[in-house]
Amino acid sequence: MWNILKTFFILEKSNKKNIFACIIVAVFVFGLALFVKTEDFGNEVKEKSGEYQSLASALGRFQNVDATENGNGSDLYKNLALQHQLVVRQRMAVKMNLPDLYLDTAIEVTTLRANSFDMEGFDMVANYLPSKRENQLDRMFYQYMKETGLSLESDPLSFFPFLIYLFGMLGSVWFIFMSVYSCGIMTEEFQHTSIIKGYPITFDKYVIAKCMSSMLLVSVFILELFVCSLPLIYLYGLGDSSYPIAVFNGDFAIYPIYKYLGISILYMVFISIFTILLSVILNVLLKNMYLTLFTQLFLYVLPLLFPSMMNVIPFNPFNYLNFASILNGQTLDLANPVVLNGTYGLISIGVSITLMIVAVKLFLTTGKLKKV
Amino acid sequence: MIELKNIGVQFSGKVILKDVSEMFNQGEIIGLVAPNGTGKSTLMNVIMNYINPKSGKVILNQKLEYTNKKNEVKIHQLVSMMPDQSDLYNQISGKEHLKIYSSMWSSNQKLIDRTIKELGMTSYINKHTGTYSLGMRQRLCFAMQIVSDTQVMLMDEVMNGLDPTHVELISQILVKKKSEGKTIIVASHLLENLEKYADRIFFIKNGELILVNDLSPGFEEKKITTVRVTRMTDEIKEKFSKEFPKTNIQSLANGATLIDVRGYDAEKLGSIVEFLQENQLTEFSFGKVTLNDLYSMYYQEG
Amino acid sequence: MRAYFKMEFFQFMSNKKNIAIYVILLFLSCYYALKIAPEYDPIEKVDVLEIEARYLTREEFLDNVVIREGMHYLTAFAVSIFPEWNEYDKARLDAIEKNNLEEYAEATSKWYTYSDKFTFESEVLYYNPGYYTYGNSYAVMDGHYAYLSSASRYEDYTEGKSDLSVNVFEERTALQTLQRLLHSYLPLILLVSCILFTVDIVLKDRQNPTLLQGLPLSDWRKLIVKGGVSLLGSILAIIPLLVGLLIIGSQYGFGHFNLPVPNYSFSEDLFSTITMGEYLIQNLLFIVVWFFFIISLLLLVSVMLKNEFANLLVGCVFLFAEFIYFSRGIGIEWNAQWYPTSYVQVGQIISGYRNYLYVSDALSLRSGLVVMGLCTCVFLFLIFLMSNHRKFKLL
Repeated sequence: MWNILKTFFILEKSNKKNIFACIIVAVFVFGLALFVKTEDFGNEVKEKSGEYQSLASALGRFQNVDATENGNGSDLYKNLALQHQLVVRQRMAVKMNLPDLYLDTAIEVTTLRANSFDMEGFDMVANYLPSKRENQLDRMFYQYMKETGLSLESDPLSFFPFLIYLFGMLGSVWFIFMSVYSCGIMTEEFQHTSIIKGYPITFDKYVIAKCMSSMLLVSVFILELFVCSLPLIYLYGLGDSSYPIAVFNGDFAIYPIYKYLGISILYMVFISIFTILLSVILNVLLKNMYLTLFTQLFLYVLPLLFPSMMNVIPFNPFNYLNFASILNGQTLDLANPVVLNGTYGLISIGVSITLMIVAVKLFLTTGKLKKV
Repeated sequence: MIELKNIGVQFSGKVILKDVSEMFNQGEIIGLVAPNGTGKSTLMNVIMNYINPKSGKVILNQKLEYTNKKNEVKIHQLVSMMPDQSDLYNQISGKEHLKIYSSMWSSNQKLIDRTIKELGMTSYINKHTGTYSLGMRQRLCFAMQIVSDTQVMLMDEVMNGLDPTHVELISQILVKKKSEGKTIIVASHLLENLEKYADRIFFIKNGELILVNDLSPGFEEKKITTVRVTRMTDEIKEKFSKEFPKTNIQSLANGATLIDVRGYDAEKLGSIVEFLQENQLTEFSFGKVTLNDLYSMYYQEG
Repeated sequence: MRAYFKMEFFQFMSNKKNIAIYVILLFLSCYYALKIAPEYDPIEKVDVLEIEARYLTREEFLDNVVIREGMHYLTAFAVSIFPEWNEYDKARLDAIEKNNLEEYAEATSKWYTYSDKFTFESEVLYYNPGYYTYGNSYAVMDGHYAYLSSASRYEDYTEGKSDLSVNVFEERTALQTLQRLLHSYLPLILLVSCILFTVDIVLKDRQNPTLLQGLPLSDWRKLIVKGGVSLLGSILAIIPLLVGLLIIGSQYGFGHFNLPVPNYSFSEDLFSTITMGEYLIQNLLFIVVWFFFIISLLLLVSVMLKNEFANLLVGCVFLFAEFIYFSRGIGIEWNAQWYPTSYVQVGQIISGYRNYLYVSDALSLRSGLVVMGLCTCVFLFLIFLMSNHRKFKLL
């Protein structure tokens, strides 16, 4: 095994692809930092103004009536009117720098909203409000902050908050990146068949060694994500590594940043192995790296194009490849909500990995490889 | 040693190998000679199990067979085939290729430097193979197999693109490897060269392996058996037949004419020389049948 | 050279990857035509109920309001603007009832202009609620743009250059769908296809280099031929997309090349219209220039780095770089128009919407052609220099 790994190190060392992949990872991190800066995330005043306008137009769908407790407006109308007031108060709290007031109001707003979802006529104004899931996440977060007495941090560019944002983005692109990176993993070798065919090693060992050497590079990429974010410590500070994030793991919960990062990395490792093995099998079957890439992307996009499929095949590992959206429960917002649990996702991907290794062991051999 | 037992291969109905049984021993160089597309490579591929034969089996050291993947690995540890020069990794150096092969077969690391020196590759071995010429690549492929140091070595077209000096060099190494007890199977079109070092030479025709000795009984002997005339017109041939009615003559497709002089004494040979000189034929030689002639006889007649 | 072109083109067309791209495009266009297009729900639609509700509420208010000294200033404001506004709404309702689409268009155009005049910069009036979705901080800007462009669109409908229908008003016909797509992600899809077509056009020859090295053609010419093949292939990618267009056309009508497309001019904050035909031709022209740009870029990267993966990455970086630096209004702060990447939203550049988003008047078809053309020339020049260098090797 060590022999074949040594061989792969010699080959990977000289492969320009790895250098370009490193460059693109760095570009991604820096680009994202720039993006966060230009989009002015974390500007509460701006966000609250937007929320204010949305609520105003939600109210605009009703006739103006008496919105007091005993007035003749509908429950939903009263609820929205109250939210409207509270958002104004929040905006004021931000401007005057009153974090306690902000927090209290935020909890009030989210609680009000939680009630509004089941009220009559909610569908009419659903567009102007965050979804039930988003509200639930917000509510968890604010309540946790209140309970623990932590102070709100809002600089999205300090190290740890930025990492959260970075890994959140990676969730949707990591599989794509890995597909592009690994789509030629075997076809590149197929151009050297007469060299590798006679190796005194079985094909499954060969594939596993290939995975290991690729995974080593993947770990370099993951490390690079952190390294490239380091300058932010100098520029914007470190942030708090145990700052809470509301997530969905079958139930709504609060994770500290390090736990969120840990799960994300675990997912990334699983997805990487999954993608590499899938590339190996598709390469051997299709003998063309682009067809491999297209097939992988197609499988990835399929559940997005036909979301109802997710209910039919809940254990499809492709449902779980966007780990960021799994962690914030995005599938709950679909027309037919699906509960995708992060742990099940890891299991599903893990099982697929095992199945693919078994398939490689049973069906594929080096000797029969044809040059392409 | 490696044994082929009733190997049969067919491609889309066409018989490539027909019931081939043969034994290749240790310390032996086997030459395979045949026109392109008659099954030389197929035979090697069968030995490597790259092709599953329709019938028959390959047995290594009287016990190992391609019955499962584990055995395949064991056999591949002992049998290697020379890589194609077009399959080299262009972006890494020749030395790294040698390191790969040495480490894959866990052979003696010292063999790398020794082989580089023996083959005179020192000056360019650290450059990327993408910059190599055809001959350099061919030598590298050969060196890779030498470095792998397996018991059985299969070499397809090993002398391709090499200049005469290197042909000689590689021949010497082959002989050396043979003395180390390796079994080497060489397919080559450099017949004169092959003749020099191969212990047994096989032709392949109609899917069968034919030992050259069986074709021409005197092939192995060190006696004058043949007078080889380069250009002999039909007119002179007729004249010759009249003068020496008991002597066999044979014309080959490569233009040469062979006069069978087995068992002739000096006087009889002298009269043949006299005849040739009288007819202004000056290009002729005494000796035995060359592999070239046999090849021509065997494959080009008709 | 022609024989070489033929050979390259044949290889291009029999390349499994390229066939797959055409198939995927076909799939996408059918998916769009059958699944997404029917679900299209424009914010500005012909909605009698909505008009009627608004009209009746205001009419009731006007009937009941008592005009007197010292009344609330908003009441006074309403009294002053509602009558004319309602006049237009009434005209729209009547026109629909009579099924007189031209009259409807005229009234609607006036209605939009009038609405925008009072809604924009108003604290109490809102645009169509469709713009104020949760999290949209620029709803007013979006509404402003949509109202003014609708006004100019409807004004043009009254000139009778083409047949009118509700589908035309709601921009559902095939050509209008195409126009909407050009305004959103269709250019990106075409450009990504172009990248994928070009990514291996040079480097594929590495698998059989000796076959081609001896051809009696200079490397520069070979590269140009390859670029040409790739360009042709990229343009042919339009064909599978046309299938989707035919499907949409059979359901909602094809529309007409004389239909108006609103065109925003930043300097005057004004809309004018160009015809659909002009719009499409300009788009085609610009996209082809983009193809030139991408192909020459990738040819350059191919000969410099000799790695397909690098080709893919560099191509994608150029396509998606705008996402990194773009934010609304950033045109005030720096000159985005000098970056070719700013022109990737081809349809939005031509309609002027990109200028509206950047708050700039510098991004136009012309400046785009100049910038992209210059870059392409630089790339080609570099390729020319490199390929004529003594030590240059194509593969």
